[in-house]
Amino acid sequence: MLKKILYGLVVLLGVITVVFILFQGLGDPAQLITGQNADKTTIQNIRKELSLDEPKWKQFLFYVNDVSPVSIYTANAIQQKQIKGLFVGNHLKVGVKWPYLGRSYQTKKQVTAILMQALPNTVVLTIAAMLLAAVIGIGLGILAAVYKGTWFDTSTLFTSILGISVPSFFTGIVIAYVFGFVLSKYTGLHMLGSLYEVTPFNGKTLALKNLILPALTLGIRPLAIFAQLTRSSMLNELQQDYIRTAYAKGLSRTKVLFSHALKNAFNPILTAITGWFAELLAGAFFVEFIFGWNGIGKVTVDALEQLDFPVVMGSVLLTSCFFIVVNILSDSLYAYLDPRLQH
Amino acid sequence: MQKNGLISVMFNPLLNIDQLSVDFVHYHQSTSAIKNVSLTVQKGEWVAIVGESGSGKSVTALSVLQLISGSQVHYKNGHIYLNVNNETIDLLKVSNKQLRSIRGNKIGMVFQEPMSSLNPLMTCGAQIVEALQTHVTISSKKAQQKAIELLQQVELKDPESIFRKFPHQLSGGQKQRVMLAMAMSCQPDLLICDEPTTALDGTVQKKLLDLLQQLQKSQNIGILFISHDLGVVKQYAHKIMVMYKGHMVECNTTQQIFNNPQHPYTKALLACRPSNYKHNEVLPLVQDFIEELPTGEIIEKKQINKSAITNPFYSTKENNEKQPILQLNNVCVSYVLKKNWRGQPIAAKEVVKQISMEVLQGEIFGIAGESGCGKSTLAKAIMQIVPLAKGSIYFKNAPITKHTKQAIQMVFQDPYAALNPRQTIGAAIAEPMKVYQLYHSAEERKKQVLQLMEKVKLPAQYFHKYPRELSGGQRQRVVIARALAVKPEFIIFDESVAALDVSVQAQILNLINELKHSFRFSAIFISHDLGVLQYLCDKIMIMYQGKIEAMGTPEQIFQNANSTYTQELINAIL
Repeated sequence: MLKKILYGLVVLLGVITVVFILFQGLGDPAQLITGQNADKTTIQNIRKELSLDEPKWKQFLFYVNDVSPVSIYTANAIQQKQIKGLFVGNHLKVGVKWPYLGRSYQTKKQVTAILMQALPNTVVLTIAAMLLAAVIGIGLGILAAVYKGTWFDTSTLFTSILGISVPSFFTGIVIAYVFGFVLSKYTGLHMLGSLYEVTPFNGKTLALKNLILPALTLGIRPLAIFAQLTRSSMLNELQQDYIRTAYAKGLSRTKVLFSHALKNAFNPILTAITGWFAELLAGAFFVEFIFGWNGIGKVTVDALEQLDFPVVMGSVLLTSCFFIVVNILSDSLYAYLDPRLQH
Repeated sequence: MQKNGLISVMFNPLLNIDQLSVDFVHYHQSTSAIKNVSLTVQKGEWVAIVGESGSGKSVTALSVLQLISGSQVHYKNGHIYLNVNNETIDLLKVSNKQLRSIRGNKIGMVFQEPMSSLNPLMTCGAQIVEALQTHVTISSKKAQQKAIELLQQVELKDPESIFRKFPHQLSGGQKQRVMLAMAMSCQPDLLICDEPTTALDGTVQKKLLDLLQQLQKSQNIGILFISHDLGVVKQYAHKIMVMYKGHMVECNTTQQIFNNPQHPYTKALLACRPSNYKHNEVLPLVQDFIEELPTGEIIEKKQINKSAITNPFYSTKENNEKQPILQLNNVCVSYVLKKNWRGQPIAAKEVVKQISMEVLQGEIFGIAGESGCGKSTLAKAIMQIVPLAKGSIYFKNAPITKHTKQAIQMVFQDPYAALNPRQTIGAAIAEPMKVYQLYHSAEERKKQVLQLMEKVKLPAQYFHKYPRELSGGQRQRVVIARALAVKPEFIIFDESVAALDVSVQAQILNLINELKHSFRFSAIFISHDLGVLQYLCDKIMIMYQGKIEAMGTPEQIFQNANSTYTQELINAIL
């Protein structure tokens, strides 16, 4: 476990390096902030402010220092960057803090704040989509495996292939158009909308019904993949000898299916679920954009459009953190589910 | 059966299979798996069904509880009567629910593969408790107690810890005991064992069979025992039914089967066991005894080709003054258990300890031992697949290097796994020739391949066939031909006949003897079956826990076995 966390940190350091090289190491961010026809003094000032006039290796060290939870700052910098955390020392302070990801070039807001505002939306959307996909997908997969070769099996297979092959931006547009516009009268759903609706009268209100269409759109592909995986994995397990042993004990078919076959079939499905979970957490760019869902994906796309690099850098780091954490968790989950993997 | 004078004394036998025929239906085409098989098992009786693969013995056994999976099964005619509480029911006619109440309750089953027959994700205890609670209303605590008692009953040491263990933490023999405990959990009247010991080592097999016999006697249960090997059941079964290609060919008391076999197939099966023959004698084959008429009827061949049986391949006199071809000096092999963060080994397990041996030119050197004794690892070390920890290996008086790889070839155990399913037979045999750039053109290689196929007695038209179209014995011939393709001077056979039927085994052993003569190779033959080694080898080494336990000619090993382990191994030959 400790080893895995260590590996995770190494990967994260790699990501930080790549992100730095891509967004700050090459080119001149100061130019991007000010636009093309800024005068020299403004650019110089901005450079000074963001320490872009320092050599690149120093910039990189500053960046790592900013991102790292354990860091060293001058008292002055803490005040300037409004860093929250516990620091000790006089002139140079050492302390623990929440990662500082800089400020948006455009809105001057703290990047951490921007991301934290978007994160709950993405998390809720992801969980909803994954629940939908896992419950229906695994259910369909089991049924297809049990009724192998029947019309149910073939139609599940066919639909799931369709579900896998149609890209989500396309299904997103179709679903938004059909259920959010054409049938809006009957469904009561809208094409656009986020988790919270802000109106002048009621203030910020929770609008769970806005979740339905994006979650559906987002869930279709993983659903189809889970269904196929569950089917093939179940079919494989059902041929194993221990299934025959279970029947020979006198167990009923449901008991054999669920407490013997499904448990054993679950590992490849778990791999897919955790993989997709991390991927969706990273922000479903197209779907959030189409439905106007204020999640990480939309924030990132908007920031890219405006060349707001600190936000993009922050969201890339956040995303890679998700992947690393989910991977570590799923590894320990495997070991918990399959005693053969415990050493 | 009645013509054999075996009318049962009791009125209602425990199990009565009456004229059972089973068909497999696949895409509206039905093939007959067994035809008109009849058999009775009394309480307290041990009945064995013996036959080779494809004989329908497993189908017969699995039909009792209708556990055949995969293709669609059609029970064409016949009945399977079971006597439950002095009431006779036909298992083919009962409802699903009633059948479930019989499975595991009145009839317990033990299967062949201990590795895969237990659920890998459940503890052994939980699996026994599950079996108990399916049929008996019993609290979890009491069920747990009962399970531990059962584990004790099957003579497992430390039953409490076995209860909590997962199947992968146990050895094959232990797993099979857990299976047995599970099958016995509801005190069944009948125990069906489908080759329960085939996958086990000789000594483990004997212990398990003894246990089974003891349980059968103490609890007076009937046992229906499936085996591919007549020898296994000789000491245990009261009655034996021999099956061939879905037909029952002979059913009689064990004594009669062994002393006075009636059917030619039974005679053939008894005759082709290698331990009955002297070194270098040609083994008789089933085909030497029986002839199949176009009608499907099996008749005895009028003349048995006696000359072939007694004719040795070559005289053993030329054995004198032979040069050693392979020498091992204090060879140790260890596997790394743990590495530090720089990838350097810090803990290792020694699996081969200080082996010194010598194989002479033209000799077949046998290595025997149980699984895990290091015999396969030793073979890998000679093949330079695993590195040596200590010691040295000399091939023709020179240290082995990667250049000797061509000269030493290997034939593996499982002919099903050793061939690439997407490669034709011809391509498989030609591949090593290409690797070592032996012949210049494809035509020349093809000519050589066809010659080799002729040598191993494969028809030339098999050149373009795929492995799936071949039987196990034919595949093993392909594997042998592939090993011979690069003209090796030395071949290592790693359990090469273990997965084969007795009659096919005889064919392959004959082939090896013949090829040895014509190709003049030396060989190491690894096997857990001392009977085979005794027949085939010039010298035998017995390994136990990575060390040499005994070494010498077969006569020396068998006549003056001085270590207890060797003695145990010899006693376990059934």
